[in-house]
Amino acid sequence: MIENAYQLIVYVLTLLGVYEWIYGIFQSFGIDYVLQIIIVFVEIVILFAFVLVTVMFLTWMERKVVAMVQSRYGPMVTGPRGLLQPVMDGVKLIGKEDIIPAKADRWIFTLAPFIVFIPALLVFIPLPFGKSLIISDLRVGLLYIIAISAMSPVALLLAGWASNNKYSLMGAMRAVAQDISYTIPLALTAIAVVMFTGSLSTVDIVNAQGGTWFGIIPKWFIFIQPLGFILFLIASIAEMGRIPFDFQESESELVAGFFTEYSGMKFAMFFLAEYAHLFAVSGIIVTLFLGGWEGPALPFIPVQLTSLVIFLIKTYAVIFFAMWLRDTVPRVRIDQLLNLGWKIMVPLAVLNLLLTGFIVVAGVI
Amino acid sequence: MPWISKNWTMKGIIKGLIVTLKHVFHIGGRPTVTVQYPYERMKLAPRFRGKHAIDEDACIGCGICEVNCPNSTITIVKYNTRWFPQFNLGMCMFCGICVDVCPMNALKMTGNYELADYTRESLVYGPEKLLFKKEANQ
Repeated sequence: MIENAYQLIVYVLTLLGVYEWIYGIFQSFGIDYVLQIIIVFVEIVILFAFVLVTVMFLTWMERKVVAMVQSRYGPMVTGPRGLLQPVMDGVKLIGKEDIIPAKADRWIFTLAPFIVFIPALLVFIPLPFGKSLIISDLRVGLLYIIAISAMSPVALLLAGWASNNKYSLMGAMRAVAQDISYTIPLALTAIAVVMFTGSLSTVDIVNAQGGTWFGIIPKWFIFIQPLGFILFLIASIAEMGRIPFDFQESESELVAGFFTEYSGMKFAMFFLAEYAHLFAVSGIIVTLFLGGWEGPALPFIPVQLTSLVIFLIKTYAVIFFAMWLRDTVPRVRIDQLLNLGWKIMVPLAVLNLLLTGFIVVAGVI
Repeated sequence: MPWISKNWTMKGIIKGLIVTLKHVFHIGGRPTVTVQYPYERMKLAPRFRGKHAIDEDACIGCGICEVNCPNSTITIVKYNTRWFPQFNLGMCMFCGICVDVCPMNALKMTGNYELADYTRESLVYGPEKLLFKKEANQ
């Protein structure tokens, strides 16, 4: 039974007939743990490369979706349908001067983009992209995801403070207020899902959603707790800081929020982290509520491939919804945002938890 | 409790989402309205006011256009023993009054709107750039 990506790589190497040979070489030196480290390194590199390519594609997709909503073409010149536009943007940003303001706190100013960027990638480690396509099936996977996501307000505050700019600091304060307000309903609705599965492991959560009721309705958690799904969706969009809730960078009030002073590659890291966060959050929504990689299996095709495709289709549907919402609704006011967070979302999340508790104890489902 | 929206069903948001989705899929007469400019251009109206053109045979160099120009765009200059208007298009607002007041109907405006240039001096269009012969055009 292949459980994670490590075993999958070993399995593929064994099928190719080279694993025994490589293992023998390492064992003859008595350093077979080095082989394990190399394989883990390879899978991490594959994951991060995949995530970064996806994130670059997402910046293109965002621009295309905005353009289609606004009856425009969007990027069309670079590559087919403008598909290479993110590459050109990256080249342009690398060529830009890396400005550090004279009165900025240089050390923190340089550190902040990395503290934003690294957790955005670390979130993907317990995320199941497909059957056995997971780096590590942590037993506390969901807790890990929420804990790693909770690092981002720290980094935003560092960036805002170190810039020594009033707009940066105000944007960072808003981002932190918003992030903390919405992490609570996010975690509470996630707990409601965990009450069904009895496990924080993302793989167990996905496995619990396999199968169907009456042969047609898939056993996704969105059908058991629609309220939880809506709360989680709104809370994650707010936590990402996208329009309707983009207070951290509301352009008309703060120039660009906490990354006003950033340029060049540091700005690119904030930008990439934002889209990596979007991808990660969509993946988490799919894992928790939309059945993860569960779906119809096709004959003659490895289940890893079909499950990966199913997972990506669902994830892109959620991403499209986030972009679509962004192009439709205007920004809410800051008081509306905090009222929504504390006076509506948190009580509803607790109510959802209570109802879920009743259902679980009654053993209806 | 005034902070609870009366529209808790989010009807307005859902309506807006449907409208934007119709734009995405071009449903109900919502085409893409922009054009890929350097590669394709929009069709111009026949009375579009672009760069000027002077009918060499009709112009008498009377200077009425110079007098009437609100931005002092026009100066009358000597060219090949005759007098013609010279346009400083950096100052021109393309109002078309010079065309209207010309007693000989010698002035007209073409559809050329790509007039960007690198220096202010190159925006001064003398008769050598603007003259045309009506016979040659017909």
